[in-house]
Amino acid sequence: MATVTLNKVVKRFGAFEVVHGANIDVKDGEFVVFVGPSGCGKSTLLRMIAGLEDISGGEIAIGGKVVNDVEPADRGIAMVFQSYALYPHMSVEQNLSFGLRMTGNPKADTERRVKRAAEILRISELMDRRPRKLSGGQRQRVAIGRAIVREPQVFLFDEPLSNLDAELRVQMRIEIARLHKELGVTMIYVTHDQTEAMTLADRIVVLNAGNIEQIGAPLDLYDDPANRFVAGFVGSPKMNFMAAKVVATEKDAAVVELLNHGGARLRKSLSSAPPAVGADVVLGVRPEHFCEAGEGDCDIPVRADVAEHLGSVSYVYANAGPEELIIEREASRQRASGDHLVVSIKAGRSLLFDTSGARIR
Amino acid sequence: MRNRNATAYRFLTPYLLIFAVFWVWPIISSFLISFQATRTVPWRFAPAFNWGRLIGDPAFFNALKNTLLILVIQVPVMIALAMVMAVLLNSPLLKARGLYRFAFFAPVVVGEVAYSAVFRLMFNLNFGIINKLLNSVGLPSIDWFSNVTPAMALIMIAVTWRWAGYNAIILLAGMQSIPEDVYEAATLDRVSKLKQFFFITLPLLKPVIVFCLVLSIIGTMQLFTEPFLITERGGPGGGTETLGLLLYRQGFRSLNFGYASAVAYTMAGLAIAITLVQLWLTREKQ
Ligand SMILES: Nc1ncnc2c1ncn2[C@@H]1O[C@H](COP(=O)(O)OP(=O)(O)OP(=O)(O)O)[C@@H](O)[C@H]1O
Ligand SMILES: [Mg+2]
Repeated sequence: MATVTLNKVVKRFGAFEVVHGANIDVKDGEFVVFVGPSGCGKSTLLRMIAGLEDISGGEIAIGGKVVNDVEPADRGIAMVFQSYALYPHMSVEQNLSFGLRMTGNPKADTERRVKRAAEILRISELMDRRPRKLSGGQRQRVAIGRAIVREPQVFLFDEPLSNLDAELRVQMRIEIARLHKELGVTMIYVTHDQTEAMTLADRIVVLNAGNIEQIGAPLDLYDDPANRFVAGFVGSPKMNFMAAKVVATEKDAAVVELLNHGGARLRKSLSSAPPAVGADVVLGVRPEHFCEAGEGDCDIPVRADVAEHLGSVSYVYANAGPEELIIEREASRQRASGDHLVVSIKAGRSLLFDTSGARIR
Repeated sequence: MRNRNATAYRFLTPYLLIFAVFWVWPIISSFLISFQATRTVPWRFAPAFNWGRLIGDPAFFNALKNTLLILVIQVPVMIALAMVMAVLLNSPLLKARGLYRFAFFAPVVVGEVAYSAVFRLMFNLNFGIINKLLNSVGLPSIDWFSNVTPAMALIMIAVTWRWAGYNAIILLAGMQSIPEDVYEAATLDRVSKLKQFFFITLPLLKPVIVFCLVLSIIGTMQLFTEPFLITERGGPGGGTETLGLLLYRQGFRSLNFGYASAVAYTMAGLAIAITLVQLWLTREKQ
């Protein structure tokens, strides 16, 4: 059981800085997910916590103790790798027990731990097999089992499910959630799949190019993103962004005109001072937040280019060109390309950003 | 499909012809020759003539003994040395890696005659650098070329010098194919670097090590250049004569093709037998 604290953590490879001063507080027993696009530094952060990468600046503390100079094995962590990193020449049983055997852990205790891990992960009947003879999901279980036998205070996962097919991924996701509940230990989980992040996390850390964009509970990030990057990253399909201009202001509201949608106007209440008249802004609306014409505060006409029917809902891709919109509609088998339709935006379900991407609240 | 196969075989014909004439035929032919008395004209079929002689020939047993002695000492030492070199080459601490890699591999491409001449100079009794070095640390000079034991040692040193780097490069390639994260997992498991080497690197490298051993065994079974050039045709007094040298003497000096063929087949048979035993000993246990 332990907290993990990152204080102004910096990572440089040579002169190239890839993490620019990260501050993160992971509470005891919390499930925190690092999410962000490829190359944003998620793995680097995780590997620094594990001790596999040196820390170029700042401090990392586990359980209140600064671990910058502590050996990886002494940090009380266990890591599950994306590639599983199983020992190919050992049986499942040997894979699980290898670390304990090499360090002279009492035999009875090793056996107990291995047995328990195998039961938790339901791999008891695979114990004599080599990794080569396991399916992807089974390998992943063994990799997690190897972490469990260490009885760590903190579990680190680096994209553990990205090599699995979609169905297995959902299944393993549920397993990991169950594991977290059963063991009750702190878990830090890296993924670029925002569905995984949303479903697993107590809190999500959104990273972009080595910066932390926002830290928060999944639904807080969805409802109240701090900036355009987070708004676009969380939610699927992605939020629509529409270029707009402020055409009038009031004390606590601004009227914006959508530039690519026939000059439609929307009055948006704000809790802070509105931007100046004439300022360029961006209006964000999630696909699922469009409503029928007349039901919202601002109707816009669109022309459907492609419609995707998923059964439960349909997605309409409209107005291909400078500003494609994705609109979620009730399931319908009729809608097709070339249709004209009018949808509406509710001011309360839209978000306003300035051109730098910062949120205007 | 059949048509495409026919086309493929037509393209293969030149190779297959060369293969048949220069590989298959000599193999069959020498097998047949080994059963013939070739010192008479015309040759006649006499199985006991060569094979019978082989069994009772002290020169053959001397060559066999020398070859096997070199094999059991030189091959393990060389592979162990190659392993050490590969580990050093693979170390992230090493600077100028390319230079070392080249240096280790260079002996393979140096001409055999040139390298033998240099070795003869280096080990010369009176002005060789090796004896100078021995003297400088208070040891007496060794007459490498006139005593059997130093001469055998010299052959082993020379062969090891020439092929250790080559094997090291093969082992290095094997090491680099082991994924880094397996070692990271072991590090997190608190397994020391030394234990990682013995419990991860060595087992995962086993197929490559076996490959190097097989290559080296075959090479040493045919050993010829070093005893021919460095210790002057298996000197002193046949003390470093190998099977390869015996074959050469019989086949090309005495023009005794039948006997040379019998020796050749013995060498090949031994190499195959040793290799099979080796593969059996190191087989993957299920
Ligand atoms: N050993 C290294 N040397 C130099 N640069 C590196 C090294 N490792 C990572 N980087 C760089 O650091 C940045 C962050 O890499 P990192 O692996 O943390 O990304 P990531 O967020 O995990 O991406 P992905 O989702 O693709 O795994 C990248 O720009 C990468 O090129
Ligand atoms: Mg990564």
